[in-house]
Amino acid sequence: MGCCYSSDNDNTDQRPEEYKPLIPHPNPVSKPPNGSDWVTPSVPSARTDEQALLTSILTKTAQNIIDVAAAESLLMEPHEYMDKARQYSTKLAVLSNSLPQKKALALPSLTSQPHQVLASDLVPYSDVQQVSKIAAYAYSAISQIKVDAKEELVVQFAIP
Amino acid sequence: MTTAALTAGLERIPDQLGYLVISEDGVLASAGELENDEHTAGVMMQMVRTACRFRLPGSADPWFKRMSVILEDFAYTVTVSGQKVFVVKRHNNQHEPINV
Repeated sequence: MGCCYSSDNDNTDQRPEEYKPLIPHPNPVSKPPNGSDWVTPSVPSARTDEQALLTSILTKTAQNIIDVAAAESLLMEPHEYMDKARQYSTKLAVLSNSLPQKKALALPSLTSQPHQVLASDLVPYSDVQQVSKIAAYAYSAISQIKVDAKEELVVQFAIP
Repeated sequence: MTTAALTAGLERIPDQLGYLVISEDGVLASAGELENDEHTAGVMMQMVRTACRFRLPGSADPWFKRMSVILEDFAYTVTVSGQKVFVVKRHNNQHEPINV
């Protein structure tokens, strides 16, 4: 009767964030407009547990089904549509601001006179040699770091 | 600044063997031994990006004006100004060997 499953249940359970609507529906558990004929009017009132169970099943089913016949009658007015579009774009703008920047960070400006900086004398040979020596010492020191095993790492507690 | 104005100063650098002007989008100008040297441009861009990431504690700005890549016979001097990377290949006349 023009009904179909609105979404795959497994996906909804695994990644709820992705399926969560950006703007929550004003009344999410409302019954479909012409869904009243699903409820049998002669439910015995004695078993409240049963009724609660039935209601929960009904709610669940109503959430998982798109009633195409009912949806057709819910055509949006142009101004409503515009409102919604605006709401979505505001919400998206807020969210996109909080996203991490994917593009590499812009290069900082190191100088305002590149020609002078590039034309100045090269780094003196002695400075280069000193830096090379320090780097070599540091490399050698790091490569000599080792674990000196003195005693057992795992010991047995003497349990009487 | 036009490209000609950018490169005019680079031509006058003493002992220069060639130069590159690189932007985020690619090589803007090149000359001498570095003419159309996209490979060197890519390597220098990566090196200067890496160097710019190092920050001294308590300071937000990079603490250097120029990066020097010193080899036996020549050296690359690199700086960044106005979102452009300038690379100049210069003759290195300090001929003593570097002992490591």
